[in-house]
Amino acid sequence: MSVDELLLQALNGLSFGALLFVLASGFTLVFGLMHIVNLAHGAFYLVGGYVGIITVTATGSFPAGIVAGVATAAVIGLASERLLLRRVRGKELPEVLLTVGIALVVGDACLAAFGGNPRSTPVPPVLSESVRLGSITYPTYRLFVLSLAVALGVLLYVIQHRTRLGALIRAGVDDREIAESLGIDVPRVFTATFVFGAALAGLAGVVAAGLLTLRPGADTDILLFALVVVVVGGLGSLQGAAVGSVLIGLVDAFSKALVPELSYFAVFAPMAIVLMFRPSGLFGRSGT
Amino acid sequence: MSTARWAGATALGAGIAGVVAAPYVLPSYVVSLLTLVFIAALLAGSVNLLAGLAGLVSIGHAGIAAAGAYGVAWATVHGLGLPAALGVAAALTLAVSVVYALTTMRTTGIVFLMITLALGITVFGLALKLSSITGGQNGLTGIRRPAVVGEWWQFYFFTAAVYGVCLLALAALSRSPFGLLLRGIRESESRMTSLGYSVTAVKFVAILVSGVFAGCAGVLLAWNSEFMSPSAASFSRSALAVVMVIVGGTGTLLGPLAGAGIVVAAEYWLSSYVERWPTVLGVVLIAVVLYAPRGIVGGLEDLAGQRLHRPRKEGS
Amino acid sequence: MIPRRWKGRRPARILLVVLALTVAASACAPDEDTGGGEAGGTVKLGFISPVTGFVAALGTDMRRGWEMYWQQNGGKAGGVAVQTVFEDDTGDPEVALTKARRLVEQEQVQLVAGPILANTAYAVAGYVAGKGLPTVQMTGADDLTQRKFNPLVLRVGYTSSQSNFPAGQWAYDQGHRTAVTICPDYAFGWESCGGFVSAFVKAGGKIEKQVWHPLGTQDFSTYVAQARQANPDVVFIGSAGGPDAILFYKSWTGFGLKDRIPLVGNCCFADQVFLREVGEEALGLQSFTYWSEGRDSPAVQNFVKAYEQQHKEIPSLYAAGAYMMAQVVAEALKKTGGRIEGADFINAARQVSLSDSLYGALTFDDTNNVVGPVYRTRVARRDDGTLWSVVEQTFPEVSQFGTEGKEAFLEHPVFSRDYTGQ
Repeated sequence: MSVDELLLQALNGLSFGALLFVLASGFTLVFGLMHIVNLAHGAFYLVGGYVGIITVTATGSFPAGIVAGVATAAVIGLASERLLLRRVRGKELPEVLLTVGIALVVGDACLAAFGGNPRSTPVPPVLSESVRLGSITYPTYRLFVLSLAVALGVLLYVIQHRTRLGALIRAGVDDREIAESLGIDVPRVFTATFVFGAALAGLAGVVAAGLLTLRPGADTDILLFALVVVVVGGLGSLQGAAVGSVLIGLVDAFSKALVPELSYFAVFAPMAIVLMFRPSGLFGRSGT
Repeated sequence: MSTARWAGATALGAGIAGVVAAPYVLPSYVVSLLTLVFIAALLAGSVNLLAGLAGLVSIGHAGIAAAGAYGVAWATVHGLGLPAALGVAAALTLAVSVVYALTTMRTTGIVFLMITLALGITVFGLALKLSSITGGQNGLTGIRRPAVVGEWWQFYFFTAAVYGVCLLALAALSRSPFGLLLRGIRESESRMTSLGYSVTAVKFVAILVSGVFAGCAGVLLAWNSEFMSPSAASFSRSALAVVMVIVGGTGTLLGPLAGAGIVVAAEYWLSSYVERWPTVLGVVLIAVVLYAPRGIVGGLEDLAGQRLHRPRKEGS
Repeated sequence: MIPRRWKGRRPARILLVVLALTVAASACAPDEDTGGGEAGGTVKLGFISPVTGFVAALGTDMRRGWEMYWQQNGGKAGGVAVQTVFEDDTGDPEVALTKARRLVEQEQVQLVAGPILANTAYAVAGYVAGKGLPTVQMTGADDLTQRKFNPLVLRVGYTSSQSNFPAGQWAYDQGHRTAVTICPDYAFGWESCGGFVSAFVKAGGKIEKQVWHPLGTQDFSTYVAQARQANPDVVFIGSAGGPDAILFYKSWTGFGLKDRIPLVGNCCFADQVFLREVGEEALGLQSFTYWSEGRDSPAVQNFVKAYEQQHKEIPSLYAAGAYMMAQVVAEALKKTGGRIEGADFINAARQVSLSDSLYGALTFDDTNNVVGPVYRTRVARRDDGTLWSVVEQTFPEVSQFGTEGKEAFLEHPVFSRDYTGQ
């Protein structure tokens, strides 16, 4: 593999990993705090993405699309948590089943509303060019996704470690019971976290629609990637989500380049290896 | 007998009478749907064995079922007789179950789930890739079921009978010391270890046993459709099996059957009349979770328990 | 957990007794549902397509195309009224099979049309033919009318390799001597590339590299890079359409290859779904296909106009294909006087010969597959600015066996990773 190829694949892996990070961060936050495996996360991604696409198509404004997509996903997340998930707090299997039900409803609604054709975002001209990086040309949009993920990572880190909300979340993740006994309004924090997670999924959807296409079934496809990332990184850990996304993104890109026959299973290899040595993931806590 | 036992026996009798009478009173298409329900219930039952007793939720069991299905499919297409075909199916099921068991026997919870997820997808991928053996994406056609159960109603009875036998076996397993071991593992692995049990060995055996049931479901599936393709091993098939278990009532004996009934009804029957059937299924799942968090059978048990035991102070 | 009333041996004994009863009952056959048979001047047809699931767009288009034919023809043919029962197969073979069962056993249809995905089509065709009923298909799976031929199955369409034979020959005739092929790594891709490769190699060309990508690939840059590195005279893309085609092309143009290496697409690469998403960048793209929505023929233009009026978009090849299925069924009904009886109906359908249709002038060969024109098309702009493909060259009477003839063709195995046509 030439250096050019290497650089190209590395960038592909990183940009896909960046997308995965935006998605997985929401998922891992929700699991870390609420111990909910939110299988509707992919559906939030899908609906956010679709709404983003039609908003951009209608208004011509990419930022408007992002706002619309994020807001839609957040609202659906809010409704899901307050009306449904709250009623079965703490019961793991019912929670999972509930998220499956939500995923089915939201996914089907997307099909009914947006049809079955694959859709992607009409990316603004400033982002649809390519940029010269040394000896290769690389799509600007992918670099945008990369920078977005880095910015998000920094933001999330700051929130987690420098704000009160972040402290509350960290406390809740560390030890839920003590946090509750300290008088923290845990239900409010839960709702906020779930909504935030859904919003992140929506953001991932809008951004992804400029890179990939959205169609029925895209929610399940991306959910699988998110699950692998989060398991590799450690459930509940943002650093884990970051490292996991980079790892999975790179493995995906390089396996498709070097061993396309095996690329289907390739992403599970790092997962298997990590789980063999650290069952709770790279940055996870044992006991989750 | 107490009221409870009478009620139970009557329900049982009515259910069995219904199963036996079905081909004579229902159209053949509906009976073929019932056949599908039994097959799905058998796969769900294999998942329930691990999830309900040992607390190990596998979201990749369709992969084991597919191994059994491909085994019998390949053998039949290559002209092997019935015993040989079943032998191939059994061998393949066992081999795949062993792989599942070896990779997951030291894990629980989410890690167990994720590894079974990966394994199921790997089986799917292999079925796609090894196309000279499996027919790849296009699948294998021309799988004839054994002549003795060739007719739709014969196959229905056969499937119902197989399901009944498996149900008995699952019930016996649940009551047996082995079943208690599994429950103990769910409660606390460390306690079981301190009691002198090898937790990994117990899990290994449990996964193998569960695999046998899944393999049976696979063979029935291949014979039912007389066709086999990788989608039988897909992630959504495995996920639906888990949905069936939870909706029916994890850990209950008839939960998988109830869950299978609902999912099959939505996916295969309702979809003929309602285009938005996934929404209906989603709403049904949500409703079950909210109003019967222990699943349908669990909810019925609670209901029965309230109604039958109300006149008495203690349970009978 | 296990309720107390399940404990004890009595339930087990009861179950065993009943199991014995069940086995005994299986000796008594219930009444068979009588199938077939007309209901006084009406024939009932079954139509299966994926209206939900990951190929929902295809299935919806198919329904629309089928319905449009019957709408335009008063819902009858051959002196009988035609009634269709529609089913959704969600893209899954199990579901497709169950729906076929429902159509045959409960709705008592006399013929089944569709579905589209190869594995669903094989499952349904196997079942329906097994029941002695005719079935018409539009899926491209080569073997359906070759090594897995069944006298009750008629394909109103082209095999996956068929429309690519002329492509291979033409590429060589243009002076290209080396080629790279990019096809998805499953049967449709193998067969599509197989068609191009076998013709190109036979003409004297050399295949530098064959790139096989997994279905659902999101990032084609690595495959495009491989193609660029091999630096061939021409690149052939054998896509199944949809997201893969769109994403591939974005990569292709993103790497600046659009004006550097000639690209030739198969039947299904630059379809309407693709053109709607890709837009201007697609202008000038060349494909070899059987459906050209811009073809200057009354049959095509009337269909496009009517379809656009009703559905606000130009019909895709899936809508056209289903319309063709309906047309052939109608023509066959005319020949049989409105009767559908097993292989007789298929034989009548095989006799159908059209001087013009959505696909052009077509007939059927003796393994129930279309022999018809393949068009070299180019993406152009219609008067109102929308993109569509227009015909630049016609290759008439292309057979599923290419130029080899049936015997020679069937001597080699179906196109796969092991037999790629070289």
